[in-house]
Amino acid sequence: MSSKPTKWVSLTINGDNREFAIGGRAGELPPSETLADTLRERLGLTGTKVGCDRGSCCSCTVLINGAPSLSCMTLTVECDGASVITIEGLPDPLTGALDPLQQAFIDHTAYQCGFCTPGMIMAAKALLTANPSPAESEIKSALGGHYCRCISHYHVIDAVADAAGRKS
Amino acid sequence: MRYFSHQNVATASDGVKSAIECEGKSCFIAGGTDLLGILKDDLLPSYPEKVINIKTIEGLGNVEGREGGARIGALAKLSALERDPTIIELFPALAESAASVATPEIRNAATLGGNLCQDTRCWYYRYPHHMGGRMDCPRKGSGPCHAVLGDNRYHSVIGGKRCFAPCPSDTAIALAALGATVEVIGADGERSLPVEDLYSPMGNTLRGGEILTNVDIPAQPKGSVQGFKKFTVRKPIDFAIVSVGARITALEGKVSEARIFIGGVAPGPYRDEGVENYLRRKPLDSQSIATASKKALLKAKPLSMNAYKIDIARSLIAELLEELTR
Repeated sequence: MSSKPTKWVSLTINGDNREFAIGGRAGELPPSETLADTLRERLGLTGTKVGCDRGSCCSCTVLINGAPSLSCMTLTVECDGASVITIEGLPDPLTGALDPLQQAFIDHTAYQCGFCTPGMIMAAKALLTANPSPAESEIKSALGGHYCRCISHYHVIDAVADAAGRKS
Repeated sequence: MRYFSHQNVATASDGVKSAIECEGKSCFIAGGTDLLGILKDDLLPSYPEKVINIKTIEGLGNVEGREGGARIGALAKLSALERDPTIIELFPALAESAASVATPEIRNAATLGGNLCQDTRCWYYRYPHHMGGRMDCPRKGSGPCHAVLGDNRYHSVIGGKRCFAPCPSDTAIALAALGATVEVIGADGERSLPVEDLYSPMGNTLRGGEILTNVDIPAQPKGSVQGFKKFTVRKPIDFAIVSVGARITALEGKVSEARIFIGGVAPGPYRDEGVENYLRRKPLDSQSIATASKKALLKAKPLSMNAYKIDIARSLIAELLEELTR
Protein backbone atom coordinates (compact mmCIF):
# COMPACT_ATOMS: atom_id res chain seq x y z
CA MET A 1 0.00 0.00 0.00
CA SER A 2 1.40 3.38 -0.95
CA SER A 3 -0.53 5.13 1.80
CA LYS A 4 2.15 4.13 4.31
CA PRO A 5 4.07 7.16 5.55
CA THR A 6 7.61 7.12 4.29
CA LYS A 7 9.23 8.46 7.40
CA TRP A 8 8.70 8.47 11.15
CA VAL A 9 10.40 10.43 13.86
CA SER A 10 10.32 9.45 17.48
CA LEU A 11 11.32 11.64 20.36
CA THR A 12 10.91 11.69 24.11
CA ILE A 13 8.98 14.64 25.47
CA ASN A 14 9.03 15.02 29.25
CA GLY A 15 9.80 11.32 29.50
CA ASP A 16 6.96 10.16 27.22
CA ASN A 17 7.84 8.57 23.92
CA ARG A 18 6.11 10.23 20.95
CA GLU A 19 6.11 9.11 17.36
CA PHE A 20 5.03 11.16 14.39
CA ALA A 21 4.50 10.23 10.77
CA ILE A 22 6.16 12.84 8.60
CA GLY A 23 4.43 14.15 5.50
CA GLY A 24 1.88 16.50 4.05
CA ARG A 25 -1.30 14.44 4.45
CA ALA A 26 -3.96 14.83 7.12
CA GLY A 27 -2.66 13.79 10.52
CA GLU A 28 0.95 13.77 9.40
CA LEU A 29 3.52 16.17 10.74
CA PRO A 30 4.79 18.47 7.99
CA PRO A 31 8.61 18.65 7.79
CA SER A 32 8.23 22.42 7.98
CA GLU A 33 6.67 22.26 11.47
CA THR A 34 8.75 23.72 14.29
CA LEU A 35 9.14 21.99 17.63
CA ALA A 36 7.34 24.93 19.27
CA ASP A 37 4.27 24.29 17.09
CA THR A 38 4.42 20.55 17.71
CA LEU A 39 4.56 21.09 21.47
CA ARG A 40 1.81 23.71 21.59
CA GLU A 41 -0.58 22.88 18.76
CA ARG A 42 -0.17 19.13 18.43
CA LEU A 43 0.49 18.07 22.01
CA GLY A 44 -1.23 20.88 23.89
CA LEU A 45 1.90 21.64 25.93
CA THR A 46 1.17 25.36 25.92
CA GLY A 47 3.58 26.11 28.76
CA THR A 48 6.18 26.77 26.08
CA LYS A 49 5.54 30.31 24.85
CA VAL A 50 6.22 31.66 21.39
CA GLY A 51 7.12 35.34 21.49
CA CYS A 52 8.94 36.53 18.39
CA ASP A 53 9.04 33.16 16.54
CA ARG A 54 12.37 34.32 15.05
CA GLY A 55 14.91 33.22 17.65
CA SER A 56 15.33 36.66 19.19
CA CYS A 57 13.43 36.53 22.51
CA CYS A 58 14.16 33.05 23.95
CA SER A 59 10.59 32.67 25.31
CA CYS A 60 10.27 29.30 23.58
CA THR A 61 13.38 27.80 25.21
CA VAL A 62 13.16 24.08 25.99
CA LEU A 63 15.87 21.58 26.81
CA ILE A 64 16.90 19.37 23.89
CA ASN A 65 19.21 16.62 25.16
CA GLY A 66 19.85 18.86 28.15
CA ALA A 67 20.90 21.95 26.19
CA PRO A 68 18.74 25.08 26.25
CA SER A 69 17.41 25.38 22.71
CA LEU A 70 14.96 27.52 20.79
CA SER A 71 11.93 25.39 19.93
CA CYS A 72 10.77 28.01 17.41
CA MET A 73 13.98 27.60 15.41
CA THR A 74 14.07 23.81 15.52
CA LEU A 75 12.33 21.55 13.03
CA THR A 76 10.57 18.65 14.75
CA VAL A 77 11.58 16.36 11.90
CA GLU A 78 15.21 16.93 12.94
CA CYS A 79 14.58 15.88 16.56
CA ASP A 80 14.52 12.14 15.88
CA GLY A 81 15.88 10.35 18.95
CA ALA A 82 16.08 13.54 21.01
CA SER A 83 14.94 14.01 24.58
CA VAL A 84 12.94 17.22 25.04
CA ILE A 85 12.04 18.71 28.42
CA THR A 86 9.53 21.53 28.63
CA ILE A 87 8.29 23.53 31.61
CA GLU A 88 5.57 20.87 32.05
CA GLY A 89 8.34 18.32 32.66
CA LEU A 90 9.88 20.06 35.66
CA PRO A 91 7.49 19.24 38.53
CA ASP A 92 7.85 15.84 40.16
CA PRO A 93 5.58 13.56 38.10
CA LEU A 94 4.49 11.54 41.14
CA THR A 95 3.87 14.19 43.77
CA GLY A 96 3.35 17.22 41.52
CA ALA A 97 5.81 19.14 43.70
CA LEU A 98 7.33 22.08 41.85
CA ASP A 99 10.98 22.18 40.92
CA PRO A 100 12.96 24.33 43.42
CA LEU A 101 13.55 26.80 40.57
CA GLN A 102 9.82 27.19 39.95
CA GLN A 103 9.24 27.70 43.67
CA ALA A 104 12.03 30.28 43.81
CA PHE A 105 10.43 32.21 40.93
CA ILE A 106 7.14 32.25 42.86
CA ASP A 107 8.79 33.27 46.13
CA HIS A 108 10.64 36.15 44.46
CA THR A 109 7.69 37.13 42.24
CA ALA A 110 10.20 36.90 39.40
CA TYR A 111 7.63 37.73 36.73
CA GLN A 112 4.73 40.03 36.08
CA CYS A 113 2.78 38.78 33.10
CA GLY A 114 4.69 35.49 33.13
CA PHE A 115 4.97 35.07 29.38
CA CYS A 116 8.77 34.85 29.32
CA THR A 117 8.96 32.85 32.55
CA PRO A 118 8.90 29.26 31.19
CA GLY A 119 11.81 30.03 28.86
CA MET A 120 13.76 31.72 31.66
CA ILE A 121 13.19 28.77 33.98
CA MET A 122 14.30 26.24 31.36
CA ALA A 123 17.51 28.16 30.61
CA ALA A 124 18.14 28.59 34.34
CA LYS A 125 17.52 24.85 34.85
CA ALA A 126 20.25 24.03 32.31
CA LEU A 127 22.57 26.52 33.96
CA LEU A 128 22.10 25.05 37.45
CA THR A 129 22.49 21.51 36.15
CA ALA A 130 25.86 22.39 34.63
CA ASN A 131 26.91 24.86 37.31
CA PRO A 132 25.15 24.40 40.68
CA SER A 133 26.48 27.62 42.22
CA PRO A 134 26.75 30.22 39.46
CA ALA A 135 28.09 33.73 40.02
CA GLU A 136 25.74 36.60 39.21
CA SER A 137 27.66 37.27 35.99
CA GLU A 138 27.16 33.64 34.95
CA ILE A 139 23.41 33.88 35.58
CA LYS A 140 23.30 37.06 33.53
CA SER A 141 25.15 35.59 30.59
CA ALA A 142 23.12 32.36 30.63
CA LEU A 143 19.89 34.38 30.56
CA GLY A 144 21.26 37.17 28.38
CA GLY A 145 18.96 36.45 25.45
CA HIS A 146 15.73 36.27 27.46
CA TYR A 147 13.54 39.30 27.09
CA CYS A 148 11.07 40.33 29.73
CA ARG A 149 9.02 43.34 28.78
CA CYS A 150 7.82 43.74 32.38
CA ILE A 151 11.47 44.16 33.48
CA SER A 152 11.41 41.33 36.00
CA HIS A 153 15.09 40.64 35.29
CA TYR A 154 16.34 41.74 38.74
CA HIS A 155 13.97 39.39 40.51
CA VAL A 156 14.89 36.59 38.13
CA ILE A 157 18.56 36.87 39.08
CA ASP A 158 17.60 36.74 42.78
CA ALA A 159 15.35 33.73 42.17
CA VAL A 160 18.00 31.76 40.29
CA ALA A 161 20.66 32.56 42.89
CA ASP A 162 18.23 31.55 45.64
CA ALA A 163 17.36 28.28 43.90
CA ALA A 164 21.07 27.54 43.54
CA GLY A 165 21.48 28.07 47.28
CA ARG A 166 18.52 25.86 48.14
CA LYS A 167 19.95 23.01 46.13
CA SER A 168 23.29 23.00 47.89
CA MET B 1 6.15 28.32 7.48
CA ARG B 2 4.92 26.99 4.17
CA TYR B 3 5.39 23.33 3.36
CA PHE B 4 8.67 21.93 2.12
CA SER B 5 9.94 18.38 1.95
CA HIS B 6 12.97 17.39 3.99
CA GLN B 7 15.91 15.12 3.35
CA ASN B 8 18.77 14.02 5.56
CA VAL B 9 22.02 13.41 3.74
CA ALA B 10 24.88 11.24 5.02
CA THR B 11 27.75 12.72 3.02
CA ALA B 12 28.61 16.14 1.62
CA SER B 13 28.66 14.80 -1.94
CA ASP B 14 25.13 13.37 -1.47
CA GLY B 15 24.08 16.85 -0.39
CA VAL B 16 25.62 18.45 -3.47
CA LYS B 17 24.02 15.84 -5.73
CA SER B 18 20.61 16.31 -4.14
CA ALA B 19 20.80 20.11 -4.46
CA ILE B 20 21.80 19.91 -8.13
CA GLU B 21 18.95 17.49 -8.86
CA CYS B 22 16.54 20.07 -7.40
CA GLU B 23 17.75 22.72 -9.89
CA GLY B 24 17.87 25.60 -7.46
CA LYS B 25 14.61 24.73 -5.71
CA SER B 26 16.28 23.50 -2.55
CA CYS B 27 18.33 24.91 0.26
CA PHE B 28 20.64 23.48 2.89
CA ILE B 29 19.88 23.57 6.59
CA ALA B 30 22.47 23.20 9.34
CA GLY B 31 21.72 25.01 12.61
CA GLY B 32 18.71 26.61 10.95
CA THR B 33 18.81 29.77 13.07
CA ASP B 34 19.23 31.93 9.96
CA LEU B 35 17.34 29.84 7.39
CA LEU B 36 14.13 29.36 9.37
CA GLY B 37 13.83 33.12 9.85
CA ILE B 38 14.20 33.61 6.10
CA LEU B 39 11.56 30.98 5.33
CA LYS B 40 9.12 32.18 7.99
CA ASP B 41 9.28 35.72 6.65
CA ASP B 42 9.15 34.44 3.06
CA LEU B 43 11.88 36.94 2.14
CA LEU B 44 12.97 35.54 -1.17
CA PRO B 45 11.09 35.44 -4.47
CA SER B 46 11.63 31.67 -4.53
CA TYR B 47 10.65 29.23 -1.79
CA PRO B 48 12.40 25.86 -1.52
CA GLU B 49 10.57 22.68 -2.47
CA LYS B 50 13.09 20.74 -0.46
CA VAL B 51 15.26 21.50 2.56
CA ILE B 52 18.38 19.36 2.68
CA ASN B 53 19.63 18.66 6.19
CA ILE B 54 23.42 18.60 6.23
CA LYS B 55 23.66 18.17 10.03
CA THR B 56 23.50 14.42 9.41
CA ILE B 57 26.81 14.42 7.50
CA GLU B 58 29.32 12.37 9.45
CA GLY B 59 32.63 13.75 10.67
CA LEU B 60 32.14 17.48 10.10
CA GLY B 61 31.58 18.48 13.71
CA ASN B 62 35.07 18.16 15.15
CA VAL B 63 38.03 20.32 16.00
CA GLU B 64 41.27 18.58 15.04
CA GLY B 65 44.68 19.97 15.92
CA ARG B 66 47.06 19.86 12.95
CA GLU B 67 50.73 20.86 13.17
CA GLY B 68 50.04 23.83 15.39
CA GLY B 69 46.98 24.78 13.37
CA ALA B 70 43.51 23.30 13.36
CA ARG B 71 40.89 21.89 11.03
CA ILE B 72 37.37 22.66 12.18
CA GLY B 73 34.38 20.88 10.67
CA ALA B 74 31.73 23.25 9.37
CA LEU B 75 29.11 21.60 11.60
CA ALA B 76 30.99 22.44 14.81
CA LYS B 77 28.61 24.37 17.05
CA LEU B 78 29.55 27.88 18.12
CA SER B 79 28.92 26.84 21.74
CA ALA B 80 31.52 24.07 21.32
CA LEU B 81 34.08 26.44 19.79
CA GLU B 82 33.83 28.99 22.59
CA ARG B 83 34.62 26.19 25.10
CA ASP B 84 37.09 24.11 23.10
CA PRO B 85 40.47 24.02 24.91
CA THR B 86 42.48 23.89 21.65
CA ILE B 87 40.64 26.89 20.22
CA ILE B 88 40.90 28.87 23.46
CA GLU B 89 44.62 28.19 23.71
CA LEU B 90 45.72 28.60 20.08
CA PHE B 91 43.02 30.80 18.56
CA PRO B 92 41.50 32.97 21.29
CA ALA B 93 40.29 35.45 18.65
CA LEU B 94 38.04 32.74 17.20
CA ALA B 95 36.82 31.63 20.64
CA GLU B 96 35.94 35.25 21.48
CA SER B 97 34.16 35.82 18.20
CA ALA B 98 32.13 32.62 18.57
CA ALA B 99 31.17 33.56 22.13
CA SER B 100 30.07 37.01 20.95
CA VAL B 101 27.42 35.62 18.59
CA ALA B 102 23.77 35.96 19.63
CA THR B 103 22.54 34.02 22.70
CA PRO B 104 23.59 30.78 24.40
CA GLU B 105 20.47 29.15 22.93
CA ILE B 106 21.39 30.15 19.38
CA ARG B 107 25.02 29.16 19.84
CA ASN B 108 23.81 25.69 20.92
CA ALA B 109 22.28 25.27 17.45
CA ALA B 110 24.32 27.54 15.18
CA THR B 111 27.29 26.05 13.34
CA LEU B 112 30.56 27.61 12.24
CA GLY B 113 29.72 26.97 8.57
CA GLY B 114 26.33 28.57 9.03
CA ASN B 115 27.81 31.59 10.75
CA LEU B 116 30.11 32.07 7.76
CA CYS B 117 27.42 31.48 5.12
CA GLN B 118 24.47 33.26 6.75
CA ASP B 119 22.45 35.72 4.72
CA THR B 120 22.57 39.47 5.22
CA ARG B 121 20.73 41.27 8.02
CA CYS B 122 19.87 44.31 5.85
CA TRP B 123 16.48 45.41 7.13
CA TYR B 124 15.14 46.06 3.65
CA TYR B 125 16.21 42.62 2.48
CA ARG B 126 14.73 41.09 5.65
CA TYR B 127 11.39 42.86 5.40
CA PRO B 128 8.69 40.17 5.94
CA HIS B 129 6.49 39.31 2.97
CA HIS B 130 3.36 39.02 5.10
CA MET B 131 3.57 42.68 6.13
CA GLY B 132 2.67 44.35 2.89
CA GLY B 133 4.96 42.45 0.57
CA ARG B 134 8.67 41.75 0.41
CA MET B 135 11.07 44.44 -0.77
CA ASP B 136 12.85 43.48 -3.95
CA CYS B 137 16.43 44.58 -4.42
CA PRO B 138 19.48 43.75 -6.53
CA ARG B 139 20.36 40.89 -4.20
CA LYS B 140 16.94 39.33 -4.87
CA GLY B 141 17.31 39.81 -8.61
CA SER B 142 15.40 43.02 -9.32
CA GLY B 143 14.80 46.50 -7.98
CA PRO B 144 17.01 49.20 -6.48
CA CYS B 145 19.03 49.07 -3.26
CA HIS B 146 16.73 50.76 -0.76
CA ALA B 147 19.60 51.53 1.59
CA VAL B 148 21.15 54.10 -0.75
CA LEU B 149 18.34 56.62 -0.32
CA GLY B 150 16.79 55.07 2.78
CA ASP B 151 17.85 54.47 6.37
CA ASN B 152 21.35 53.13 5.96
CA ARG B 153 22.72 53.50 9.48
CA TYR B 154 23.67 49.80 9.64
CA HIS B 155 25.01 49.42 6.10
CA SER B 156 28.49 49.30 4.57
CA VAL B 157 30.82 52.28 4.49
CA ILE B 158 33.21 50.74 1.99
CA GLY B 159 33.16 48.18 -0.82
CA GLY B 160 29.42 48.14 -1.50
CA LYS B 161 28.36 47.77 -5.10
CA ARG B 162 24.67 47.52 -6.08
CA CYS B 163 24.11 46.07 -2.59
CA PHE B 164 25.39 47.87 0.53
CA ALA B 165 24.70 45.22 3.16
CA PRO B 166 27.67 44.40 5.40
CA CYS B 167 28.89 40.91 6.22
CA PRO B 168 27.01 39.77 9.35
CA SER B 169 29.47 37.05 10.39
CA ASP B 170 31.63 37.60 13.48
CA THR B 171 33.68 34.44 13.13
CA ALA B 172 34.65 35.45 9.56
CA ILE B 173 36.42 38.53 10.93
CA ALA B 174 38.45 36.56 13.47
CA LEU B 175 39.21 33.77 10.99
CA ALA B 176 40.36 36.25 8.35
CA ALA B 177 42.78 37.79 10.85
CA LEU B 178 44.14 34.31 11.57
CA GLY B 179 44.69 33.63 7.85
CA ALA B 180 42.15 30.79 7.73
CA THR B 181 40.86 29.14 4.58
CA VAL B 182 37.57 27.37 3.95
CA GLU B 183 37.10 24.15 2.06
CA VAL B 184 34.11 23.86 -0.20
CA ILE B 185 32.72 20.86 -2.07
CA GLY B 186 30.62 21.16 -5.19
CA ALA B 187 29.76 19.47 -8.45
CA ASP B 188 33.28 20.09 -9.76
CA GLY B 189 34.98 18.66 -6.71
CA GLU B 190 36.68 20.44 -3.83
CA ARG B 191 38.26 23.86 -3.72
CA SER B 192 39.60 25.99 -0.93
CA LEU B 193 39.73 29.75 -0.58
CA PRO B 194 40.71 32.36 2.00
CA VAL B 195 37.81 33.19 4.34
CA GLU B 196 37.67 36.79 3.13
CA ASP B 197 37.13 35.61 -0.46
CA LEU B 198 33.91 33.89 0.57
CA TYR B 199 32.16 37.26 0.36
CA SER B 200 31.08 39.56 -2.44
CA PRO B 201 28.74 42.59 -2.38
CA MET B 202 25.87 40.37 -3.59
CA GLY B 203 26.32 37.65 -0.97
CA ASN B 204 28.61 34.70 -0.46
CA THR B 205 30.53 33.35 -3.42
CA LEU B 206 29.38 29.74 -3.10
CA ARG B 207 28.13 28.39 -6.41
CA GLY B 208 24.87 26.47 -6.72
CA GLY B 209 24.93 23.25 -4.72
CA GLU B 210 28.24 23.94 -3.00
CA ILE B 211 28.68 23.09 0.69
CA LEU B 212 31.28 24.58 3.00
CA THR B 213 32.81 21.54 4.70
CA ASN B 214 35.85 22.58 6.73
CA VAL B 215 37.74 25.58 8.03
CA ASP B 216 41.52 25.33 8.17
CA ILE B 217 43.48 27.62 10.45
CA PRO B 218 47.24 27.58 9.93
CA ALA B 219 49.72 27.53 12.80
CA GLN B 220 50.13 31.09 14.00
CA PRO B 221 53.55 32.76 13.69
CA LYS B 222 55.83 32.65 16.71
CA GLY B 223 55.53 35.77 18.84
CA SER B 224 52.11 36.67 17.48
CA VAL B 225 49.19 37.92 19.55
CA GLN B 226 45.57 37.97 18.42
CA GLY B 227 42.18 39.25 19.48
CA PHE B 228 38.64 40.10 18.50
CA LYS B 229 36.38 42.93 19.60
CA LYS B 230 32.82 43.79 18.71
CA PHE B 231 30.60 46.81 19.19
CA THR B 232 26.85 46.20 19.41
CA VAL B 233 23.81 48.21 20.41
CA ARG B 234 22.35 45.45 22.60
CA LYS B 235 25.17 43.77 24.43
CA PRO B 236 23.93 40.24 25.13
CA ILE B 237 22.43 39.53 21.70
CA ASP B 238 23.17 41.46 18.57
CA PHE B 239 24.96 41.58 15.28
CA ALA B 240 28.04 43.75 15.12
CA ILE B 241 27.77 47.42 14.28
CA VAL B 242 31.52 47.16 13.86
CA SER B 243 33.91 44.38 14.83
CA VAL B 244 37.67 44.01 14.59
CA GLY B 245 39.91 40.96 14.37
CA ALA B 246 43.66 41.42 14.62
CA ARG B 247 46.83 39.40 14.67
CA ILE B 248 50.09 41.17 15.39
CA THR B 249 53.45 39.49 15.08
CA ALA B 250 56.38 41.19 16.74
CA LEU B 251 60.08 40.55 16.33
CA GLU B 252 62.61 42.12 18.69
CA GLY B 253 60.03 44.56 19.96
CA LYS B 254 58.89 45.72 16.54
CA VAL B 255 55.86 44.72 14.52
CA SER B 256 56.92 42.43 11.69
CA GLU B 257 53.42 41.63 10.43
CA ALA B 258 49.94 42.97 11.18
CA ARG B 259 46.64 41.56 10.00
CA ILE B 260 43.72 43.85 10.78
CA PHE B 261 40.23 42.98 9.56
CA ILE B 262 37.16 45.09 10.21
CA GLY B 263 33.63 43.65 10.23
CA GLY B 264 30.27 45.35 9.84
CA VAL B 265 31.65 47.97 7.45
CA ALA B 266 31.95 46.12 4.14
CA PRO B 267 30.43 43.18 2.23
CA GLY B 268 33.13 40.94 3.72
CA PRO B 269 35.92 41.17 6.28
CA TYR B 270 37.68 44.42 5.30
CA ARG B 271 41.45 44.24 5.48
CA ASP B 272 42.77 47.63 6.51
CA GLU B 273 46.19 47.94 4.94
CA GLY B 274 46.48 51.58 5.99
CA VAL B 275 46.65 50.53 9.64
CA GLU B 276 48.79 47.48 8.90
CA ASN B 277 51.38 49.43 6.90
CA TYR B 278 51.68 52.12 9.51
CA LEU B 279 52.32 49.59 12.28
CA ARG B 280 55.01 47.65 10.41
CA ARG B 281 58.51 48.03 11.86
CA LYS B 282 57.20 50.14 14.75
CA PRO B 283 56.98 49.08 18.38
CA LEU B 284 53.39 48.36 19.42
CA ASP B 285 52.85 51.07 22.03
CA SER B 286 50.25 53.68 22.90
CA GLN B 287 51.76 56.20 20.54
CA SER B 288 51.89 53.97 17.46
CA ILE B 289 48.44 52.57 18.27
CA ALA B 290 46.90 56.03 18.54
CA THR B 291 48.27 57.08 15.15
CA ALA B 292 47.64 53.74 13.43
CA SER B 293 44.01 53.51 14.52
CA LYS B 294 43.30 56.93 12.99
CA LYS B 295 44.41 55.53 9.63
CA ALA B 296 41.56 53.02 9.59
CA LEU B 297 38.98 53.26 6.81
CA LEU B 298 40.59 56.31 5.22
CA LYS B 299 39.18 55.18 1.87
CA ALA B 300 35.63 54.76 3.20
CA LYS B 301 32.71 56.32 1.36
CA PRO B 302 29.98 56.32 3.99
CA LEU B 303 26.32 56.58 3.05
CA SER B 304 24.14 59.36 4.43
CA MET B 305 23.71 57.95 7.95
CA ASN B 306 26.63 55.65 8.73
CA ALA B 307 29.82 57.72 8.92
CA TYR B 308 29.74 57.09 12.69
CA LYS B 309 30.91 53.52 11.98
CA ILE B 310 34.33 54.88 11.00
CA ASP B 311 34.81 56.47 14.43
CA ILE B 312 33.70 53.27 16.14
CA ALA B 313 36.09 51.20 14.02
CA ARG B 314 39.01 53.47 14.95
CA SER B 315 38.16 53.30 18.65
CA LEU B 316 37.74 49.52 18.54
CA ILE B 317 41.08 49.05 16.78
CA ALA B 318 42.80 51.23 19.37
CA GLU B 319 41.14 49.38 22.25
CA LEU B 320 41.95 45.97 20.83
CA LEU B 321 45.59 46.78 20.08
CA GLU B 322 46.02 48.31 23.54
CA GLU B 323 44.71 45.06 25.02
CA LEU B 324 47.15 43.08 22.92
CA THR B 325 50.12 45.01 24.29
CA ARG B 326 49.30 43.87 27.81
